[in-house]
Amino acid sequence: MTETRAKIAIRGLQKSFGPKHVLRSLDLDVRDGESLVVIGGSGTGKSVLIKCIVGILTPDGGSIKIDGEEVIGVTGNARDRVNQKLGMLFQGAALFDSLPLWENVAFGLMSAHGMGKTEAREIAIELLADVGLGAEAADMYPAELSVGAQKRVGLARAIATKPEILFFDEPTTGIDPIMGDVIDRLIIDCVRQLGATALTITHEMESARRIGDRIAMIYDGRIVWVGGVDEIDDSGNEVVDQFIHGRIEGPMTSAAGAA
Amino acid sequence: MNFVAALGRVFLNFLAATGRLAIFTGISVSHIVRPPFYPHLLLRQVIEIGYYSLPVVGLTAVFTGMVLALQSYTGFARFNAESAVATVVVLSVTRELAPVLAGLMVAGRIGAAMAAEIGTMRVTEQIDALSTLSTNPYKYLVAPRLLAGMIMLPCCVFVADIIGVFGGYLISVHKLGFNPAVYLKNTWQFLETVDVVSGLVKAGVFGFLIALMGCYHGYHSRGGAQGVGAATTNAVVSASILILGFNYVITEAFFAT
Repeated sequence: MTETRAKIAIRGLQKSFGPKHVLRSLDLDVRDGESLVVIGGSGTGKSVLIKCIVGILTPDGGSIKIDGEEVIGVTGNARDRVNQKLGMLFQGAALFDSLPLWENVAFGLMSAHGMGKTEAREIAIELLADVGLGAEAADMYPAELSVGAQKRVGLARAIATKPEILFFDEPTTGIDPIMGDVIDRLIIDCVRQLGATALTITHEMESARRIGDRIAMIYDGRIVWVGGVDEIDDSGNEVVDQFIHGRIEGPMTSAAGAA
Repeated sequence: MNFVAALGRVFLNFLAATGRLAIFTGISVSHIVRPPFYPHLLLRQVIEIGYYSLPVVGLTAVFTGMVLALQSYTGFARFNAESAVATVVVLSVTRELAPVLAGLMVAGRIGAAMAAEIGTMRVTEQIDALSTLSTNPYKYLVAPRLLAGMIMLPCCVFVADIIGVFGGYLISVHKLGFNPAVYLKNTWQFLETVDVVSGLVKAGVFGFLIALMGCYHGYHSRGGAQGVGAATTNAVVSASILILGFNYVITEAFFAT
């Protein structure tokens, strides 16, 4: 599977919640510097995959290596060191509602990097400007913003520490198509400027085609297809074809009906 | 047979819940003493738990002292022991009523608020976001609350002791016709250090329990608004029951002969 060096290498990843097997021996490589998008239906384990990589969930089995270093079972300061390489935009932005926007953006700079308040605030205001929010927004609170604006602040927070790897969990879900386009373009710009590796999960094909260099399809707890964005329309995979064309008939609905 | 199986399941679930709580407590306490520390978060919780709870604790104490004076007077008057009113008021307030009632009031106010705040953070992935930002949620959210609870509830109870005794004094002097100097002399004469200290120790334990229950139920809440609501209820109910249970244990430890 590996052609160039894998920034993230996942082998045989398993995760179950009670009797429900969400990930069943999943294999995936994310190459250094690429933007990989994982697509798949609702409840297929896309978010679980990302949460296992960033250490929010503990897998039941398998291996996850970041820069060749095994991260499953790594805790405490060692995990913090790994996490300092990572940045994540959550599905609902997950901004801290007790903190003003600038503190949300500067949180990682102040807590993990020990930066002073004055300097961190200046950087936060620059980052807010990068995602299209003026300096006057710095002292506002998350509840005062629209969902789209919250996602932009979430993006600013994710890139504030200049991480090597960025994760985007459904970045355009729940916002209108125009704002979705804006968020996608911001993600592309941020990833390019940082030279970061990006792993995005989404079920929106337009977003996947815009953001990704490669696309992987997750189904039944495994990656069933991986290829370039320009190859997906001719993938020859029935599951991928059904998903990207949004057909009711196909292997995904047959399996769901049988279950 | 089914009844036995159901009973067994309940017992196993109880053991599992106890184990989860013990692990949560152990991890949280270990983060109180290990750096990095967040003094500004501790200060915020100190103000929230201590300063903002003073009005409700003070009102509870003053009315409790007033009622206690009235009730004990009407009872003791039947066998000409009215002079014991001051002693009964001060011992009841400092040993039992101030710590227990303040604990229950603060459990309702602070335990619920903690569970709701942390529960909301859980269901909106804010706690997950903390982890991705290399910040330990136990250290950032739980440890300052536990420490503030242990420090500030004794402070509140100390104030409640004074206000409660003052409530008894007001009623005794202005309504029941006691001599102020004699009342104060009787209050001091039979009060021992251990009476106040036992109440403050109770308050420290209750403060820890209130914060622990609020954080634990909030941290493990699931399923959106309904889950947060359930966490809030569970935090207040479990804290209240634990306060009453530990009240007996600490009383036994201090005063059992």
